[in-house]
Amino acid sequence: MSLLEVRGITKSFGSLMAVNGVDLALEEGEILGIIGPNGAGKSTLFNVIAGLERPTAGSVTYRGRSIAGLSPDAVCRRGIAKTFQIPQLFPRLTVAENVLVAALYGRGAGLHDARREAREWLVFVGLGEKAQMPAETLSVPERRRADLARVMATGASLILLDENMAGLNQKEVEAAVTLLRGVRARGKSLIVTEHIMGAILGLADRALVLNYGEKIAEGAPADVMRDPAVISAYLGVAYA
Amino acid sequence: MLRRWPTSTDWIALAVFAILLLLPLGIGAYPVRVATVIFMWAALAGSWNLLAGYAGAVDLGPVVYHGLGAFVTAALMLKVGLPFLVSAGLAGVVAMAVAFAVGTPTLRLRGAYFAIGTLALAESAKQLALAWDRLTPIPLTGGSAGISLPLSAGYLVFYYVMLALMGGVTAAALWLRHSKFGYGLRAVGENDRLAEASGVDIHRLKRRLYVGSAFVIALTGGTAGYWLSYINAMEAFNASVTFQMVVMTLLGGLGTPFGPVLGAAFLTLVSEFLGTRFVYHYLIAIGVIIVAISLFAPSGLAGIADLARRRRTQGAM
Repeated sequence: MSLLEVRGITKSFGSLMAVNGVDLALEEGEILGIIGPNGAGKSTLFNVIAGLERPTAGSVTYRGRSIAGLSPDAVCRRGIAKTFQIPQLFPRLTVAENVLVAALYGRGAGLHDARREAREWLVFVGLGEKAQMPAETLSVPERRRADLARVMATGASLILLDENMAGLNQKEVEAAVTLLRGVRARGKSLIVTEHIMGAILGLADRALVLNYGEKIAEGAPADVMRDPAVISAYLGVAYA
Repeated sequence: MLRRWPTSTDWIALAVFAILLLLPLGIGAYPVRVATVIFMWAALAGSWNLLAGYAGAVDLGPVVYHGLGAFVTAALMLKVGLPFLVSAGLAGVVAMAVAFAVGTPTLRLRGAYFAIGTLALAESAKQLALAWDRLTPIPLTGGSAGISLPLSAGYLVFYYVMLALMGGVTAAALWLRHSKFGYGLRAVGENDRLAEASGVDIHRLKRRLYVGSAFVIALTGGTAGYWLSYINAMEAFNASVTFQMVVMTLLGGLGTPFGPVLGAAFLTLVSEFLGTRFVYHYLIAIGVIIVAISLFAPSGLAGIADLARRRRTQGAM
């Protein structure tokens, strides 16, 4: 049994089909990359899995139980946590308190344990020094790392990263890839959306390509990127 | 790394509370009455502050529980013959049940929709109270004429009940700063979508707080009604009660444990002082003061105190 099984997910906003009949499966400990041009439906697919959007049709099964239609907090407590494309914070709480909330409510930890875990996850993402700063003082790359610490603290075993590397320079992308390998080493499964192809190549075990809400390719990342359908989706037919 | 409690602030608050317990021994009847009014408003504003200041939900209908508390307390005393404190406590429980039923749908509304929804609810409650005696076989509210309660024995009981209510609300606000419940609420107030994505059941948290504050507001309303020994629906459900709670909290400091107490004390004392000297024009002066505080100290009186403390510690370094 796969950890996560998504079958025939369709999500429409009025006449717009943001996601159309997408299937995917994820095994325990796997890193799946979802790539596609802007507007391909990556974030919508994530939002459906995380309970932020109710699918128009289709099913989402996690550890053998249906989770489609559950509220985001219930999905989080079941073990799926998501970062946001625009990193989100509790701006006037400290960085440590941001992570603390996730440990308290996502994992249901007591205050004492949650404090210790918040500190550990901040050290893990390299923000140990910033623990007592108000969260609103963090830079954008730091916010992404704080967001990662937050999802780790929820105790989720499946983590969805929505363009976690957008806006990072080459060096920061390398650091992020190393960090995410560390996340997997701690027994987590990951689904990452990216439109930086290079980051996916170095990280994902498998890649899935979306275009106009539909799956157009799936397989080993290197193979997928040579696929003519994928190249034409990104660069236009002339290059395929 | 994170703040521990009890902090020095908690100890100071406890010391002030102890002084207030003994205060009636040292002052006359009039100052005790003024202090009782301050405690009453501090309890009401403090209840409002819990939901608005911590969970970010602006409730414009808390007067529902004030009126409910007053009339249920009166009914239990007059019709059932229960003692005052028992009646007020039971009125609080009734208010909690009503708040649970009302909060379940309304707390799902976000932002301005919640504010408008609760405001409309409060007006409906007032109309219902006014029409109650005509509509039901059990007369409770006396319509627009209102009802009289038995004259109470002494004023000290009200002083202590209101002090206990203010103390309870302030202690709850202090506790929220360091508890799991408080962290969850502040997360909801700061960014409710993110709180939800972090596993916080925002609806349940807000409802728990809403129900708790309804209890305090109803108890305060019941006590105030008995103290005045006369209540009518126009006054007990008057939206100005809500607005005074809001103004006092904003003046004192939204989302701070002592803000509502400061705001209640300040506004009550200023009204008392100006009201006796400029009977007809004092409201103008109060309006000017409120505007000035909003302009120059947008985080309220508690914010001024914090600012002064920070300046002093910086100067010492």
